[in-house]
Amino acid sequence: MPRGRIGPGLAKLKIAQQQRQISMQYPKDCKQFMTRRDLLWLLAAGARAQQPAGMASRGLVPQARGKPSGLPFHARFTDIAELAGLRAPVIYGPEGRVDYIVESMGCGVAFFDYDNDGWLDLFVLSGTRREGPAPGATNRLYRNNRDGTFTDVTREAGLTRQDWACGVTIGDYNNDGFDDIFISQWGQNVLYRNNGNGTFTDVTREAGLLHPGIRWGTGCTWIDYNRDGLLDLFIAHYVVFDFQSVPATGRNPKCNFLGVPVYCGPMSLQPERCMLYRNNGDGTFTDVTQSAGIDRAAPTFGLTAMAADFLGTGWPDIYVASDSTPSLLFRNQRDGSFAEQGLQLGLAVNEDGAEQSGMGLGLGDFDTDGALDLLKTHFSGDTAVLYRNIGRGGFEDVTLRAGLGVETRYVSWGAGIQDFDNDGLPDLFWATGSVYPEVEKVHPEYPFRTPRVLFRNLGNGRFEELLSAAGPAIAESHCSRGVAFGDFDNDGDVDILIMNVNEPPSLLRNDVSGSGHWLKVKLVGTKSNRSAIGATVIVTYGRRRQAQAVTAQSGYLSVNDRRLHFGLGAAQSADLEIRWPSGLRESVKAVAADRLIAIREGEGVVKVESFGGPRTAA
Amino acid sequence: MRAVLAVCIVLLLGTGETTAQSPARGDAAAHVGRAVRLMQDRQFSEAAAEFAQALAIDPNNDVVRIQYATCLFATQRDEEARKQFEIERQRLGDRPGLNYYLGRLDLRANDFTAAIKKLAPLEKDPALSDAAFYLGVAYMSAGEQARALECLVRAARNNPRDPQVHYRLGRVYSMAGRADDADREYQLYRDWQESQRVAEQYGHECRDALRRQPLAQARTVCQRIADPKDSRLLVLLGELYSANGAFSDAVAPLQQAVKLDPESFDAWNDLGSSLFWLKRYREALPPLRKAASLNPQFFSTLTLLASTLHALGEDAAALPVLERAHNLNPDDAQVASRLERLRAALKGKR
Repeated sequence: MPRGRIGPGLAKLKIAQQQRQISMQYPKDCKQFMTRRDLLWLLAAGARAQQPAGMASRGLVPQARGKPSGLPFHARFTDIAELAGLRAPVIYGPEGRVDYIVESMGCGVAFFDYDNDGWLDLFVLSGTRREGPAPGATNRLYRNNRDGTFTDVTREAGLTRQDWACGVTIGDYNNDGFDDIFISQWGQNVLYRNNGNGTFTDVTREAGLLHPGIRWGTGCTWIDYNRDGLLDLFIAHYVVFDFQSVPATGRNPKCNFLGVPVYCGPMSLQPERCMLYRNNGDGTFTDVTQSAGIDRAAPTFGLTAMAADFLGTGWPDIYVASDSTPSLLFRNQRDGSFAEQGLQLGLAVNEDGAEQSGMGLGLGDFDTDGALDLLKTHFSGDTAVLYRNIGRGGFEDVTLRAGLGVETRYVSWGAGIQDFDNDGLPDLFWATGSVYPEVEKVHPEYPFRTPRVLFRNLGNGRFEELLSAAGPAIAESHCSRGVAFGDFDNDGDVDILIMNVNEPPSLLRNDVSGSGHWLKVKLVGTKSNRSAIGATVIVTYGRRRQAQAVTAQSGYLSVNDRRLHFGLGAAQSADLEIRWPSGLRESVKAVAADRLIAIREGEGVVKVESFGGPRTAA
Repeated sequence: MRAVLAVCIVLLLGTGETTAQSPARGDAAAHVGRAVRLMQDRQFSEAAAEFAQALAIDPNNDVVRIQYATCLFATQRDEEARKQFEIERQRLGDRPGLNYYLGRLDLRANDFTAAIKKLAPLEKDPALSDAAFYLGVAYMSAGEQARALECLVRAARNNPRDPQVHYRLGRVYSMAGRADDADREYQLYRDWQESQRVAEQYGHECRDALRRQPLAQARTVCQRIADPKDSRLLVLLGELYSANGAFSDAVAPLQQAVKLDPESFDAWNDLGSSLFWLKRYREALPPLRKAASLNPQFFSTLTLLASTLHALGEDAAALPVLERAHNLNPDDAQVASRLERLRAALKGKR
């Protein structure tokens, strides 16, 4: 359709002229004409200023699906959460309704090895209920029993807490060899120091991380922005919100979805700014938001935050997925400050210049050209966006070219770019779930629980969606938010942990068949921060080069296994290039496939493990 | 959208070997009439179904097939749209309007070479002012930054108020390392985007004011929309006024709109309609004639035009117009009845 010379909202303006009772005589009273059906599309569908409910969505018609490739997909996902012992629901707001926006946003999950035994443990955040503490609601730490099951060790670990937890970032901020936990919340954030003995201590106050009043922390990530070997802390915020000043569902007639009263926001609420804390090296942090230029960026509705060397400069930048506002790319200026350049680098909006509801982020190299690409998820009636790294000019929105335009049905959250079938080509995954439980009762075509989405990489810059070919867990419907990727059973593939609203989490075990090889890389910093957060690894196998980065937040407010997993396809060995956060570059040649190798900065490979882990319980 | 479609039809049929198409015959006209009304309401899927039925009856009607193809395009049924446009290309040869849509389909299918081939000859066509934009996008996607830049610069000249053009241009400058030019375009993108946002907000407030406040008060709210250089905002303002019966207030912005955009069906149609309801029939006639020429299948416009001619005592001229309207919507009993009376009256005069 020829584009109007005006934006989509105004271009849609029409006033439908129903049949008038046109009299061939002059009408005695022009008010007798039939009421025009007032289809001011601009005002009904396009005007974000007058739509307090909901997030930005383009109302896209999905692209037609092509014929299936017919290629086999050698990964199969099964939800084994129940068998694994993950039975406690993640309480987040009331069931069956949402009165306030804070009850709808959910929280993150994490794969991390808190006890350094080489097996991934799980950390699942939780919310609460407005009426008061909900029985059984708490963040939970599950220790991996190494047999496909987990034990809830929350109490022993000192991590019992019930709040509106949102985001989690995991990293060794004091470089003592044990991963610590930072949780962003509506209210106050929390820093837990890992004591190294299976317990954690809340050190928020002594670390200087308490903030005045109530703020809604969301995306958070460790980052060594000044390359001093210490992990600093970046926090995004969503909206200015409190229960007293925002009307509950049903109190504001403008807050409705297809005529069904829903909660208000975020468009009717005030956006927020991000913050940056510098690690002083003594267990404390200093707020450097202003001196680092973080506060110069326009306020947005910030969600998932991710730090990585996106531009290959050797310095970490920060990307913040922002809801219904331009997403932010804080480009490291290498002098202790950042310049927000999302627009200049092609990451703020989509290819049409339209803002979207940015929620989840995935980082990977889908076209195996050695540069990091990005995946961002959005609201229903819109596509996820795939940004291809084009080097100096930043990123290019290749969503439609990649074939992702076929899927616009779901509100989409935690996302990842991971090679699930080890064919050497990273695939795409995201979890979904509505924000309006009330709507499906009136409009069943808008269900609250919706399936997962998986696109397999066809290798030519295009993807195809697998609706049922990747196992039963993909088609199962839940209302999900946070997603983390990792190999919890150490069998050489990528599994998925998912937060489900008011349900137990899902743990999708991946069973890979076929003959694809793989390689896992674990980095340990020495001059760099010990967690090696901010490092980039480029693996060359056959004619492909694949880049991955060690991140401290991705998915949706979540944390992945820091062991980088590379599917190698038919290649049985690979060459590695490591770009450490300190600036050091190292390379390792001819690493045999189907191994986990640990590389210590400046020392090369220090450990090689062959996986052949025990069979899981199911 | 209707205006551009009409232009496309003119481009397709106004020049070249084929003679002007006769209106869709018989029942086909009724389907076409419904389809055009559905298109007005942006119900393109339903409109496509009506056009398909019209084609089943009148398969050689090029205008109907083009309209059908355009609705398929609007609903992203690209394969079917391409098929229909290709049929017309076989019948009519390479026409600008056809190549415009086929080029855009190539763009959607990521066949940038083909898109460039079709859109390049249209780059400077004044009737297809956004062809330069899509050509620029095609060049950008094909990695031909220099040509992308030329096309997008032209697109920005053609549509300076379109934030999307400025965004794309900014991206090309960014990729070329021209940071200052990029920043300028990104600022324009932000400015025009903000301008649209504000206009949307004003539109909401105007609508609410017209519904709830006395006109004198509502006028103050509504006049904020008026931008004497932006035909679309002027049309919006005119439509808001006329939708709420404030026809006198609608006239001025619509008169300005037609000066700025002489090919805007909406502007001419709403202007004529407002003047009609003000009983200014002599003044209503030219805009309604123009609107009818731009969109000869729009039922409401034709009935208004016929009413205007009748009010001016020109029944002989009103008759064929009303007949066309009736063919487009034979279910409208009032029009059928009026037609019968008009015929009888004219017969009586002879």
